[in-house]
Order: sequence, then structure tokens, then C-alpha cells
Amino acid sequence: MAPDINLTEPAIVDESVDVTPETPGAASGPVPEVVFEVSDLSVYYGDFRAVRDVNIAVHKHEITAFIGPSGCGKTTVLRCFNRMNDLIDIARVEGNVSYHGVDLYDREVNPVEVRRRIGMVFQKPNPFPKSIYDNVAYGPKIAGVKANMDDVVEKALRGAGLWDEVKSRLKASGMGLSGGQQQRLCIARAIATEPEVLLMDEPCSSLDPIATARIEDLMQEIKDKYTIVIVTHNMQQAARVSDRTAFFTTEVNAESDTRTGLLVEVGSTDTMFSNPGDERTENYVTGRFG
Amino acid sequence: MSTKPLPLEPMRHVFREELDQLRLQVELMGLRVDENLERMRQNLRTGDEIVADAAFTADNEIDAMNVSLTERCYLLLGRESPVASDLRFIVSVLRIVSELERVGDLALRVVKLTPKHHLLVRSEVVFDILVTLSDEAVEYFRVALRAWSAQDLRLATELATQNRNLDLYYERLISELKALEGPDAVRIAIAAFAAGRALERIADHSAIIGARLRYLITGEPAHLAAEVR
Repeated sequence: MAPDINLTEPAIVDESVDVTPETPGAASGPVPEVVFEVSDLSVYYGDFRAVRDVNIAVHKHEITAFIGPSGCGKTTVLRCFNRMNDLIDIARVEGNVSYHGVDLYDREVNPVEVRRRIGMVFQKPNPFPKSIYDNVAYGPKIAGVKANMDDVVEKALRGAGLWDEVKSRLKASGMGLSGGQQQRLCIARAIATEPEVLLMDEPCSSLDPIATARIEDLMQEIKDKYTIVIVTHNMQQAARVSDRTAFFTTEVNAESDTRTGLLVEVGSTDTMFSNPGDERTENYVTGRFG
Repeated sequence: MSTKPLPLEPMRHVFREELDQLRLQVELMGLRVDENLERMRQNLRTGDEIVADAAFTADNEIDAMNVSLTERCYLLLGRESPVASDLRFIVSVLRIVSELERVGDLALRVVKLTPKHHLLVRSEVVFDILVTLSDEAVEYFRVALRAWSAQDLRLATELATQNRNLDLYYERLISELKALEGPDAVRIAIAAFAAGRALERIADHSAIIGARLRYLITGEPAHLAAEVR
């Protein structure tokens, strides 16, 4: 899928991509294409700074995992990638989040278009109280997709590894599926609009181990089509599925006793789980402190 | 606004204690091996059969420790899914206990020459070299054991990288054996070579323990490469 980075109606950018050097030894081989470039990102909720000074690049067709203790800002940062924080009145974003070189928070950028290209799968499967078919067709219909809707639905369900299990009961309610199937339905719904990126916020936390393994397999199968960013509390999951891992932690603000998240380091998952550069990462991944 | 890191509590106490126990158990196995090296050395000097028997009995215990520690490592790998330095530690233990077991076997190889002790002592020069080789080999092993006990990177690096006097003695042994004359020359040479070779290998395995410990401590890929060379 060639990235068409027009997020408004008129095209606003050139394709040049700025690659920032990272943790030494993290990357090898050809320089990967950067999908998101985050620089000096801070997110505030009112006066409270939830996360500060995040710098990270997300590479195309890779799975990037965000790990870290509760309250470290990993979900907050994830939500910046498709402007989900816009939906929170008091949220304010400082710094820069660019998508193929386009400033995602530019005035001209249409958040609806952003969310079409950058899909999201949530912690709890949240199918609409509609049929399996309608759950998947909903997005493409809204987006005014002209193609044969049956084909669109089949393609998305196949892409999410669910087609064979539901093809005989497409008119049945999506709510009647098992938890793992519901989550794959949500993935089908997310990929039906043909996004380039899938953001996954703890997609397996409410699933049993077998359903989790199916989602993890699915992620591997679809990563040559999509760029995936996953937030996970499950470190083994990050180690299993991701190409690169970003570790976040929190610090305490002395006066207000509030906590602010920050990015400690990002690197190849192999390195982060075998010999991380920062002692805080080592302490977290080994479970030594928490 | 001033900030401070989140105060963190130590966690996974039970696992940490198990790792610590594992380190001590490896040390204990190393001590058992060291005791047998001492028996080997005594037996080499005297040809004492009682000491030889004691060495055989002790080696069974060493083998049993190898099995039990290996099982413990498998259990921890399966149960705790260790990563980073914890994973290196457990895998290093697995590899180091098999080195210890090997050193134990090599000590027995020397002890098994007891019936041929009269051949080993026949040439005074050869016998002197063998005794020196055994002193050197035991000393190398003790350095490895000290390095492990203290998880000492400097000692580990020394073991992994240094040139050894022992190699000179070993070369010397070979040339002395080649120069042996008389009716028993071949039999003496074969027995002394078997002993000398085992002693040299004990030092080699001690160096490998040092290399494995060095990689365990640093996690440097280059140190892993040196270790499996």
C-alpha cells in the first residue's frame, strides 16, 4: 500500500522522511521507513502533565510495543497517534507528532481522516450491537467506499482470521461471538477501512491464552500490510510479537505528588529483553522492581 | 518543577532467592569438584588407591548435582520466563555446571591411571612436569571458582583472555615424551600423555567458565562470541 499522506482534502506535504538516530545497535540493515516521528511530545490534562518529552520513531511494517508500569503514559502516547486525545476536552498536546512528515496536529488536518488511516483496537472488544456483517461494513459505508460491500466485508474478516468461523452466520449479532472472536471482529472492523496503521491498546488483556495466541499470530500475519503499535502489560507478549520495544516509566512530581510518564528507551525488542541499555528497563523487564 | 523517580519496591522475592540459591549451589558443586581435584593431585603424587576410590565416589555425587541443578534451571525457565540478566544467569548456570562436571571427569581420567602410576614416576623429569601441570591446572580451576563466587568480572576476564604458563609446561611434556628411550618408553609416554592432556583440558575448561561468567556479567555479544569460539 503506497502511503498517500493527504490528510486534508488537498495534499499538504512532500514525502521526505526524516530519520532520527536511535539507541545504538537497535537497528541493523537498511534504514526503515518512518511512519510516525514523535519529537518532544508532552501531553497535559488541564495543568497536569501526564507524559513528557517523548521522542520516538515508529517504523513501517514493524510492530512497536509500548511497555511500562501503570500510569507511565503509554496509552496516552498511543492515543496521540490518531488524535484520540482530541475527544478529551482538557487534553492538550505539546511537541510534534508527524505522520509521514505531516504534522498530525496541524489545523488543516482532519481528525476523521486521521482515524480512517490509523485504526485502533481497544482493550475490551467493543463490537457494535449489530450483525457481524454490519460491524465490519460500518466504517467503509461511512467512508463512502464504492466497492462491493460483500467483498469488503469478506476481505476484512479474512484479514482478521475470522472468516471461516463466521461466514455462515454473518447476519448473527457480533455480541454473540466469544471474547477472542469479538476482538478479531474489532480488528476486522478496524482494517475494513484499509488503514495503514493499527493501534492496539492492550488488545489481549481480556482474552484467554488461546484467543491471545490467535491475536498474536494474526499480528504477525498482517504486519507486512500494516504498521502496528501495541500497548501491553504483558511483557512476554511484547517480547514475542514486537520488533521494537519502547519502555516508559513514571516519575513523581515532588510538589504536587502527581506522576508524569516518560520514555526511558526504545530499541530492538531483542536488545530490550536480552541486554537493555538502561538499568530501569532491566529492573522492569526482569520484574526485579515494580 | 522538581521530579524524582517513582519509588520502587523490590519484587519477585521468591524468584530472586531461588537465583541466589542457584548461585550458591553452583559454588558448592564447584567445591566438590575442587575436592576431587585435590584427590587427583594427591593420587598423582602417591598413586594412593584409597584416595582414588574416594574420588570415584565423590564423582557420583558431582554427577548427581549436575542433574539436579540442570533440572532446577529447566524448572525456573519454564516457570519464571526469565529475561535479560536473569535469563543469562540461568543459561550460564546450565552451561557452567556442565563445565564443572567435565572437569570432574577429567580429574577421574588422571585418577584412572593409578594402576600405571609406576610408569608415571619412571622418568623423573616427566613426573616433575606432570606434578607441576596438576598444580597449575588446580590453580586455574580455583581462580574460576573464586570468580564465580564473587561474580568477579576482572578474574573472569583474566581467565578468558590470559596466556598461560601451563601451555609451556605442556609443550615441554610433549617434547620430553618424544625424547624418551628404553624398553618402556612407549608405555610411559602413553600414560603420561593421557595425564598431561587431561590436566591441560582442566585448565581449558576453567578458562571457559571464566568466559561464560564474563558474558553473564556484561551481556556483550562480543563476549558471547569469544565464549563459544
